[in-house]
Amino acid sequence: MDIRGVQIDDTFAEAFGMRGARIIITAKNQKWAREAANKMTGFATSVIACKCEAAIERELAPDQTPDGRPGISVLLFTMDSDSLPKRVIERVGQTVLTCPTTACFDGLPGAAERIAIGKPLRTFGDGFQGSKVIDGVRYWRLPVMEGEFLIQESFGKARGVGGGNFLILAESADAALDAAEAAVDAMAGMPGVILPFPGGIVRSGSKVGSMRYKTMIASTNDAFAPTLRAITKTSLPDGVNSVLEIVLDGLDFRSIAMAMQIGIDAACRPGVHSITAGNYGGKLGPFHFYLRKIMSGDVEDAPKEGAPA
Amino acid sequence: MSERITLTLRAALIRPLGAECISADRFADLSEQEIGALELWDGHASVALGDVFAIRGDHSSSVTIEGDLAHLDGVGTAMRGGEIAIAGSVGGGVGARMSGGAIRIAGNAGDDAGIAMAGGLLAIAGSAGDRAGAALPGASKGMTGGEIIVRGGVGRDAGSRMRRGTLFCASVGEGAGTAMIAGNIIVAGDLGDGAGLGNKRGSILALGNVRVPPTYAYACTYRPPHVSLMLLSLRARHELLVNDEHVHGLYQRYSGDLADIGKGEILEWRSM
Repeated sequence: MDIRGVQIDDTFAEAFGMRGARIIITAKNQKWAREAANKMTGFATSVIACKCEAAIERELAPDQTPDGRPGISVLLFTMDSDSLPKRVIERVGQTVLTCPTTACFDGLPGAAERIAIGKPLRTFGDGFQGSKVIDGVRYWRLPVMEGEFLIQESFGKARGVGGGNFLILAESADAALDAAEAAVDAMAGMPGVILPFPGGIVRSGSKVGSMRYKTMIASTNDAFAPTLRAITKTSLPDGVNSVLEIVLDGLDFRSIAMAMQIGIDAACRPGVHSITAGNYGGKLGPFHFYLRKIMSGDVEDAPKEGAPA
Repeated sequence: MSERITLTLRAALIRPLGAECISADRFADLSEQEIGALELWDGHASVALGDVFAIRGDHSSSVTIEGDLAHLDGVGTAMRGGEIAIAGSVGGGVGARMSGGAIRIAGNAGDDAGIAMAGGLLAIAGSAGDRAGAALPGASKGMTGGEIIVRGGVGRDAGSRMRRGTLFCASVGEGAGTAMIAGNIIVAGDLGDGAGLGNKRGSILALGNVRVPPTYAYACTYRPPHVSLMLLSLRARHELLVNDEHVHGLYQRYSGDLADIGKGEILEWRSM
């Protein structure tokens, strides 16, 4: 399969189950909502060292938010249930509570599983906090120097998918970056999906473990590093001089698959040799995103071979 | 089983009649004959509901009551679910101790509307009498949940000893929120004197004029974030005429009642 002269490899991206929350941040204007969201999602590229993966999902107009103000939707994912509330609490507490004019709401109101976020944060109010139940939902009012910070007591917890990916193999670093930027721009604002790395792009894709250092849980993906072509077991075709990766986390398989479809299509442009994906042979992650199926329009999850019916 | 049960008043009532038996959740289990045998109270004497109302339908939790019901008291008492629509006005104690469902009144309601209410919705298109959402005599708590939406005015002592829930009205008489424990009273127009005396943690939102009691102290002028949320929610669910200038406006916050624990508030709207 090729799209506008770019080969789509016959392979798949292998992804894992995660736990996620959607945090709605509102503020006086979009500037301050984004300030809080940028801080909240800082240093949240990979669970390997950041303990969570988070990014801005999309901007929200005033008529899309609970309090009628401009807002930003953030998705935050962790590898397990227990650490999700810890990560949300510490990040909301340090970056949203502290940011002028913000309020914070749950973006998954239909989720059956709930995590307490506003409830533990209320103690910052030192006993001066108060609560309000509005339309059956409890909110906490925390007095702060600016005025008052409002936060919902509990947030929804969802099962998500982390580690959807595709790799852009290009003739030059400039061509790889142009294609990756085009892919990110095309995927921007798609509901239920985030790209947690800087600008949505990864230049240092990793392999599991290390050939040389026992303590490393991940190390450079030498098979795709062009400077190592001559001295390692390379996966790079001739003519490829740079590779960039797009990593996607999402609330469900379909959202990621749809984003990959749009992103890969946008990345197929002059200077790009091929598109491939990272996997571990299908033995580790339960979610497999087959590139050619997705680019043929099939974005639904499929039962895995050998999986119980 | 009918889609709806309709009770039509056979003859005008000339004195109060206790109708605590009229409850939508109870009607869901009853045949037309069983509904007709329920007892209304004329002083100490009982009278069959079927003798006072013509009944159409059975086994439904949706009930419509037609006729001049200004002397019919206690409709929807302790109701736990279902829906009652009252085509005109109704007497006192409507929705008293109700914990679920909805009662919608096209006209006015008498005294004690939603008294000791614990949940559900009591929507009154006209006005209501005294003690709406307040406590039963001798009880420590008034309303403990639910919403009372009155598009007209409300009489004295509304929301007295309220513990939870929301009372919205166009204007309110003296003593609103007296000894309020918590909850919300939202008044689109003017409040009578003595609002919030003895208030512990309750919120009184005054969009019109209010004379703040001397036992309250001014705190600041700000935009309370929960007010936007609360007013937008009420506007969306009940189609209330709430202006954007109130939703996002500046309010003066008065803390009180400082003669009690002082964690309550009167929020008086000032400007956009």
